[in-house]
Amino acid sequence: MKPTRREFGASALVGLAPKTDRKTEGGFVFESQERGHLLRDHARLAAPRERVKVPVVIVGGGVAGLSAAWRLDKRGFHNFVLLEMEQQAGGNARSGQNEISAYPWAAHYLPVPDKNETLVRELCEELGLLQDGVWSERWLCHSPQERLFLHGRWQDSIEPAIGLTADDARQFKHFEERIAEFHASGAFRIPMEEGMAKSTDRERQLDRVTMGEWMRREGLYSPYLKWFIDYSTRDDYGTHAEQISAWAGLHYFAARAPEDKGPLTWPEGNGWIVKKLLAKLGKYVRTGSMVYRIQPAGRRWEILTEKTLYEADFVIYAAPTFLAPWLMEPAPPRWPIDSAPWLTANLTLDRWPANKGLEYAWDNVIYSSPALGYVIATHQSVAMHQPETVWTFYWALADGNAADQRRILLGGDWNWWKEKIFADLERAHPDIRQCVKRMDIFRIGHAMPRPLPGTIFHPERQRRAKLSGSLVYANCDLSGLSLFEEAQYRGVKAAEHVLRLVG
Amino acid sequence: MALVLFLSVFLIAACGLIYELIAGTLASYLLGDSVLQFSTIIGSYLFAMGIGSWLSRFIDRALVSRFITIELMVGLLGGFSSTILFLSFTYTTGFRFLLYALVIAIGILVGLEIPLLMRILRERFQFKELVANVLTFDYMGALGASLLFPLFLVPKMGMVRSAVLFGLVNAGVALWSTFLFKEHLPSPLLQRAVCAVVVLILGGGMVAADHITDTADAALYADDVIFSKTTPYQRIVLTKWKQDYRLYLNSHLQFSSRDEYRYHECLVHPGLASIPGAKRALVLGGGDGLAVREMLKYPGLESITLVDLDPEMTRQFSTHPLLVQLNGGSFKNSKVHIVNADAFPWLEKNEELYDFIAVDFPDPNNYSLGKLYTTAFYRLLKHHLAQNGVAVVQSTSPMFARQSFWCINETMKQAGFNVHAYHVYVPSFGEWGYVIGTQGDWRPPTQLPSGLKFLTTKNVTELFDFPPDLAPVPVEPNRLNDQSLVRYYDREWREIVR
Repeated sequence: MKPTRREFGASALVGLAPKTDRKTEGGFVFESQERGHLLRDHARLAAPRERVKVPVVIVGGGVAGLSAAWRLDKRGFHNFVLLEMEQQAGGNARSGQNEISAYPWAAHYLPVPDKNETLVRELCEELGLLQDGVWSERWLCHSPQERLFLHGRWQDSIEPAIGLTADDARQFKHFEERIAEFHASGAFRIPMEEGMAKSTDRERQLDRVTMGEWMRREGLYSPYLKWFIDYSTRDDYGTHAEQISAWAGLHYFAARAPEDKGPLTWPEGNGWIVKKLLAKLGKYVRTGSMVYRIQPAGRRWEILTEKTLYEADFVIYAAPTFLAPWLMEPAPPRWPIDSAPWLTANLTLDRWPANKGLEYAWDNVIYSSPALGYVIATHQSVAMHQPETVWTFYWALADGNAADQRRILLGGDWNWWKEKIFADLERAHPDIRQCVKRMDIFRIGHAMPRPLPGTIFHPERQRRAKLSGSLVYANCDLSGLSLFEEAQYRGVKAAEHVLRLVG
Repeated sequence: MALVLFLSVFLIAACGLIYELIAGTLASYLLGDSVLQFSTIIGSYLFAMGIGSWLSRFIDRALVSRFITIELMVGLLGGFSSTILFLSFTYTTGFRFLLYALVIAIGILVGLEIPLLMRILRERFQFKELVANVLTFDYMGALGASLLFPLFLVPKMGMVRSAVLFGLVNAGVALWSTFLFKEHLPSPLLQRAVCAVVVLILGGGMVAADHITDTADAALYADDVIFSKTTPYQRIVLTKWKQDYRLYLNSHLQFSSRDEYRYHECLVHPGLASIPGAKRALVLGGGDGLAVREMLKYPGLESITLVDLDPEMTRQFSTHPLLVQLNGGSFKNSKVHIVNADAFPWLEKNEELYDFIAVDFPDPNNYSLGKLYTTAFYRLLKHHLAQNGVAVVQSTSPMFARQSFWCINETMKQAGFNVHAYHVYVPSFGEWGYVIGTQGDWRPPTQLPSGLKFLTTKNVTELFDFPPDLAPVPVEPNRLNDQSLVRYYDREWREIVR
C-alpha cells in the first residue's frame, strides 16, 4: 500500500508512524482465482491455435494426475500429455524455496504407509524411502515431533494432557476403544474404497450424522476431547466436527494402524515427492494449460486450452471434480461434495521467538486457536546452528458456510490477513512480529473436499468413482478425503483402466 | 554571568531526569511490565521531589555550601545508581526495595536543588525574571536529557556509564559553584578538595564500569573469568584459579587444564595408536585443539582435518597466547586444516575417507545436539571411515549417565559398527566414557607414542574393563525420529544436579 502524501509527511517529520514494529514484507502467491472463475462465468476464452493428436490426456497435475502419469510411464506407455493450469505442477503438494529453506504450500507429510497400502509403498521404494523393509531415518519426522500450547505452556503431543480430570481421561480412553473397534471392523481403510466393500448398515448410519452428533450419542462431552477431535477434522478436512460426517471423522482415526514413529516429511513437504516425480515425468507435463472445454468428437474427445486443441482417445480427469460441469459437454450432474477454503502462509524468520519450556517441535499447535498452528520447514535439517527459519502456518476457514468463508478469504487484503496471523501466533509467541521478515500467503478457495453427512455414500460419488468408458475421473475428491494416498490410488487406478482399454 | 548560572540549572535538571529514566528503564528490563515500572518510578520520583522542595524550607543557613553538598550527594547516589541496581539484582533479593529507596533518595535531593538555587540567586535577579529563567532552563534540561537518553546514552554508553557520566556532571556543577559563589563560602578550598575527591571516585567508576557485567559472570563461575565471549553459536568462558584454566561452553565445563591430558590422551591414543599406518585423521568438534595436539604425536599422520562450528573458538585457540600454550600451538601445524562448518551437513556433502575419526561434541542435552548421536549420523560416519579405520566418540559419563553412555554404544552398534567401550577417571569430570567403532575386529594398541602423562601399554587395556556399577544396561538406540538419548540424558543428569 502506498502511503498518502499526508501520512508520509507526518511520519517523516515527527516519526508518528502507526507503530514501531519492524516491517514485514510479503504478499499473496499463486493468485489464480480470477482465471478459475473465468470457467465458472463461461467467459469467452481464446480459441486454440493448433490441433494435437495424442492417445491419452491427463487433465490436472496434482498428485492424482502425476500418479496416473507415473503408472502409464512405468508400464511403458509414453504417448500422453498432462495438462496443468498453473505454472507449477503439484496441486496441493506444491512447494517453494528461499535462501533459508524449501517449504510446503499445503500438504506437508505422508503417514508411514502400512503393509496393505501397496501402491504408496511401491512409490516409497522407488524413491529410496523404503529399503529392505526399513524406512529412511533421514526423512522420518525428527524428534520432537509435536507439541501443544495449552494453559500458557507447551506440552508434549497434540493430545491434551495438562489439566484433564479423571472423567476427561476416561472419555479419551472410551474414544480410543471405539476407534480400535472401528479399525478392527475393516470398514475403514486406506484406500477408502477397500473398506467400502466391508461397509454395513452401521457405516451407512455413520455417514448420516455429524461427528458432533456421534460424540453426543457416545456420551463424549469432555472439552479437551471435543477440541482434539475438532482440531483433527479441521486439520484433515477443513471442517468442524459439528459439520463433518461421522464416517469421515472416524476414518481419520480408525483407518491407520497405530504406526511406529512417523510420519515421513521433508522441508518442502510433499513437494519433495512431486519434485522426484517431475524429474522423471516432467517431459509429459504442459504447465500453464488451462483446460476450458472437454467435448466428445465421434468416438474421441476434444480437450481445449487457449493454445492447443488436443484430440485424444482417452481422458483421465484428475482436476477437482466440482469443476467438471463447467468444462464438460454435455455437462455431468452437479458434484455433491462441497469444498473447503484454506489459507496457508510461509513466514520467513530471521530470528527465533523466545521459547520457554519444551523445544520447538515439527508441528506446533495452539489450543483454542481458530487456526491449526505451524510446521517448521527447517525441522528436518541436521544442522546444529539454524539462526533463521521458515514456518508454514495453516488455517482452514471452517466456520459456518464455505461460500461465506471464501468471501472472507478473498475479501481480506494481505495486510489484514497478516495481522490476523500475527494475532493468532502471539498467543504463544508475544515477540513474533519482531522475528518475521517476510510473510507470503496462499489463499486456496477450493482446497479440498468437505465430507459433510451423506457424501461418502452418495450415489453420485459412487457412480463417478467407477471406472468405465473413455473418460474417467481420478481426483482424490472422489474419495471425499483429501489424502495423498487417495489421490495416488485414484490416479493409478484410472491409468490402469486406460492401459487395459488402449491395448 | 547570568547565562552561566542558568546553565547549571539546565545541567542539574538534565541529571535529575537521567536518573529517573535510568531507574525506569532498568526496572522495565529486570522486572518487566514497562508501563507499570515507568508509572510508579516517575510517580515516586516526582513525589520525592515534592518532599525535597518542602524540606528546603528547613535550610536557613549556609545555602551555598548546602547546595554544594547536595550536588555531590546527588552525583554519587545518581552516578552509582545503575551500578547499585545491577549488583543488587545479581547478588540480593532486595532489588525492588533498593530501587524505590534509591529513587526516593535521589528524588528528595533533586527536589532540594532548585528551591535552594532560587534562593541563592534571589538577590541577583528580579523575582519574575528569576522564576521565568530558572523554570525555562529546568524544562530545557529535561528535554535535552530525554532526547539524549534513548538516542545516545542507552545505545552507545549503556546504563552504568551513563549514570556515572551524569554523576560527574553533578559533581562538576558543585565544583563550579565553589568558584561562582566563593564569596558565600567560609572555606572554598576545603569544598573544592571534597569536590575533587567525589570527581575522582566517579572517574574511577567510569573506568570500572566495563567490569560490572563481567562481575555478574564472575559470580556464576567460582574462579576468575579471564576471557569471555558470546559468539552467534555459544558463550565461551575461560576461568583461572592458580594454575588451573577451565573452559566453559554455554556454562558446561569442557576441560580443566590440570587433568585434560587424561581426557584427550584417552580420546585419541587407544584408537589412533592401534592403526600404525594411519595417514588421514578427522576431528569433529574439538575446537580447543587439544585432541589435535595429541594426534600430532604421530609423525606418520599426513593430514588432520578439524571441523568445528564456531570460527571464534578456533580463532581464539589459534591466537590467544594462553590458549595456544594449552594446545601447544597445534593449530599452527601445517598438517592441520580447520573447517568451520556444521558437522552433520558437512559430512553429508563430503566424500573423503579417513583412517581415524575423533568425535568430540558437547553432551547431548538437547534435540539438535542429539542429532549428532543418532544411527543416521553414525551410518554417515561409517561411510567416511577407511576399511581398517577407527572412529571414537566421546560418550558422556558411564557413572552419572549410565543409560546415556550405553545408549551411544548401542546406537553405534545399530549403525553397523563393531563397538568397543572404555572409560577413564578424569578428576574434574568424574568417570568418563568413550566408544570406539570399527568395521572389523579390533584390539587395543600394544605400542604408544612416548611422552604421555597417563596412558601406558599396560593401563590402556584396563580401560576396557567395566566394573559392575558401570556395566551395560538395556537401552533403546537413538534415532533421528525417536531420540531416546536426549530423554535418558535429561533424566539422568537431573537426578544428580542439585
